[in-house]
Amino acid sequence: MKLTVNGVEHDVQAPQLASLLHVLREELDLTSPKAGCQQGGCGTCTVLVDGEPRRSCLLPLAAVEGAAITTVEGLGAADELSPMQAAFDEHYAAQCGFCTSGFLLAGTALLNGSPGATREEVLEALSGHVCRCTGYVKIVRAVEAALHGEVHPERVEASFEPEETEVLIPGSPA
Amino acid sequence: MTSRSLDAAQLVTPTSREDAIEAFGDGAELTVLAGGTILMPELNYGRLRPARVLALWNAGVAGIRREGSSLTIGAMTPVAELEAAPEPLATAARSVADREIRAQATLGGNLCATPGGEIPRGDLQAPLIALGARVTTAGAGGQRTEPVEDFLSNGPGGRLVLEVELEEPAGAGHATVGRPHSHGFTILAACAAETSEGVRVAVTGAGSHAVRVHSVEQALAGGASPEDAAENVLKDVQPRDDALASAWYRQRMLPVLVGRALHDLSQKEGTRG
Amino acid sequence: MKAVGARLPRYDGVAHVTGRTTYVDDVRIRGILWTKALRSPHHHAAITRLDASKAEALPGVHAVVTHEDVPKNVYGHLEALGIPADEPLLAENDVRYKGQPIAVVAAGDEDTAREAVELIEIEYEERPAFFDIRKALDPDWPQIHQWGPVYPHFGPHNHRRVRKGNVDRAFDEADVIVEGVYRPQAIEHCPLEPQTALAVPEADGRLTIYSCTQAMYFSMGVVAAHLEWPLNKLKFVGGTVGGGFGGKVDTATETICALLALKSKQPVKWRWTREEEFLASSTRAPWHMEIADALTNDGWILGRRMLTLHDSGAYARFSPYGVTKHAFHHTGAYTIPNVHFDGYVVFTNRVPTTAMRGFGVTSVSFAVETQMNRIAEVLDLDPLQIRLKNANRIGDTTANRITLKDPSTVPVVLAAADRIGYDLPAEYRSMTSDRRSGELLPEHLVAQLGVEETSGNGGGR
Repeated sequence: MKLTVNGVEHDVQAPQLASLLHVLREELDLTSPKAGCQQGGCGTCTVLVDGEPRRSCLLPLAAVEGAAITTVEGLGAADELSPMQAAFDEHYAAQCGFCTSGFLLAGTALLNGSPGATREEVLEALSGHVCRCTGYVKIVRAVEAALHGEVHPERVEASFEPEETEVLIPGSPA
Repeated sequence: MTSRSLDAAQLVTPTSREDAIEAFGDGAELTVLAGGTILMPELNYGRLRPARVLALWNAGVAGIRREGSSLTIGAMTPVAELEAAPEPLATAARSVADREIRAQATLGGNLCATPGGEIPRGDLQAPLIALGARVTTAGAGGQRTEPVEDFLSNGPGGRLVLEVELEEPAGAGHATVGRPHSHGFTILAACAAETSEGVRVAVTGAGSHAVRVHSVEQALAGGASPEDAAENVLKDVQPRDDALASAWYRQRMLPVLVGRALHDLSQKEGTRG
Repeated sequence: MKAVGARLPRYDGVAHVTGRTTYVDDVRIRGILWTKALRSPHHHAAITRLDASKAEALPGVHAVVTHEDVPKNVYGHLEALGIPADEPLLAENDVRYKGQPIAVVAAGDEDTAREAVELIEIEYEERPAFFDIRKALDPDWPQIHQWGPVYPHFGPHNHRRVRKGNVDRAFDEADVIVEGVYRPQAIEHCPLEPQTALAVPEADGRLTIYSCTQAMYFSMGVVAAHLEWPLNKLKFVGGTVGGGFGGKVDTATETICALLALKSKQPVKWRWTREEEFLASSTRAPWHMEIADALTNDGWILGRRMLTLHDSGAYARFSPYGVTKHAFHHTGAYTIPNVHFDGYVVFTNRVPTTAMRGFGVTSVSFAVETQMNRIAEVLDLDPLQIRLKNANRIGDTTANRITLKDPSTVPVVLAAADRIGYDLPAEYRSMTSDRRSGELLPEHLVAQLGVEETSGNGGGR
């Protein structure tokens, strides 16, 4: 079966009902999608299928034949980060990093499809993704920075100005 | 790593409705794959090792057709597309899981969802019952069309869901226990709709599938206030404990939610959609 | 101190956002075997028969390991601290929690490993299970642990105790006694990365173990102890943790991978499913805490009696340590001259409990701070004023006989009050951490004041 991933066409041997996640990780050695729960509940395996975010653990290989798959490996390399990647780095949106791939791709799809998204729409777009480290504040901040074009793709420089605290959800102590 | 059980499974991908019906036959020893959000975890975890899988993604049974106030919704229509359907279906669809799941999960899969563990699934069943929707299925004995509540009480075994028909209601109401963030199942939801046969009310989350609550409907028809009518909901359902909520909690929340759905309905009555 | 408060790039930031960070599951090695476990379906049962021969014979299976294959099966996580061992790596005579591992299989793929697990023949004799820690000392307690209902090795006692002053007199002299019961429940750490390890046999006879552990050298010690190997035969690769929060202090997968790799002579990976994480990974403990405080009408805490029951689950693991830390903190950030604390580590048929963010201290802080609010409510006094009055100050002696040199309760409470716009009278707003004197040194605190070591300028706002 043919599978196009990050612009490269592959011949894959896995069974037709193998999950796309399994094919990407074990056959193509693309390890940015993670096997966080393998039941669609955590978001770590998210990839783009024809530009739309999808859970690769819930997609049988046969269902994506002919589709264009994008993983984080296809977003941007270290020296040419995509705006969403640069924003995540700049705003410390990745802590342990295990959920980051899924958030990056959900954010990228939002940036491509609804660049004018409101705070509420950002939260909705990210709602299928679980992060246990950050409390989400920095992730939402990063996605919004990318949406607003406020990204500095050059490496984050050390700065000694204290950051302002921001309340994400009214009434929360964040 | 190879996967022995998946290697052995035969995948059938019919390219028309007729082929799908023929391939389904009487449904014996066949696993139907629609969106995959329920089936794929079973395959991933090795809990299900199917001999034959019927995948419907090319079977031409997706999409919403409108004729006047009538809608026909194909079984493979993604939940995301139902967000533009008549209320209370649209609100219920918007409350399902998250963006990625709604784009993949289907109407047909939701109707056939068996309880996961002991947790009721099938968030769209209550709005469909409230709307008086009828479901067309194929299987042994040919095709048949029946009310959704009848289909659910018989169980989906041996039937292939093809489509659902419904009429746009004169008004609708919806109330749910909010559970933001997560691919979770509905704890409890209540739906009401003003249909040509009067107000219909249904609840999701109080049993293994959604149920129509006749006692509430009868109380309303008898002139009871929404709040008083809502108290009757416990005559029709016996909530149980499961991993999401206790029976104690559900017993207290059900009349509240039914009351809210009826209140929501009374606010919107007379305004279509 | 230039870096404090500064904005510095994360050393691993670019690797994270390019998907290049290598977690254990991402390590690519040819020919790895996958692991699945036979886990107990019962909360408590005797194992009356265990026969893995059919599993071993299944094509594609490279190794099956049971308790018989483990050089030192029973291990204690705190053996290095002199705390005896009680937990088998793989269950032998009995199972004491649902999900407890009994046998493990390494096969060429996960499906084959699962099929092999199903072929293991096992019989159980179910036994009564015990879950309610409050009933641990009841006479009809069902025998679930060889040490009895509670961990018995706190020196000469079967509980951690703290005694100071004369608590009976404090209660005799109290105007009011306020009691509270606090019961925080278990929490699953739920890291996004499930427990995962990969063990690779090397040509020189050593093992390389890729581990998601939070506690590298500790895990290395645990594996070496079970294998009865010297540490220099193990090479651990770690440092990349996909979330831990305390749950990856336990050595969950490394030893099993090592044993399977040695038996099969192939690299072996064990990646838990999310279901296994919820079923069998350790959790934060449930606690039962009872506090009774002897108080004066004007809000001084004269004495505290506290009883803590800690749900250890089926084995001790780190629980004695957690309860000890808990005991140290049972007066919170306040000075109480007369205390009587008893803390029990109770065995139940839950999954063993473990560290999670402030091990043992979060529970007691929750109880103490809620109790402070309850006191304020009963006495009809301001909750912040009560805290400021009783707050630790320089020279105060803690329940553990430590004389405080730099307590921060007063400035922290005042800063919090400022941030939320909380109105406090001038006498409270001007409080500092300075050594007690005047009205802040009532009769009952005179004796607990330590010898003066500083001139009292180390605290304040």
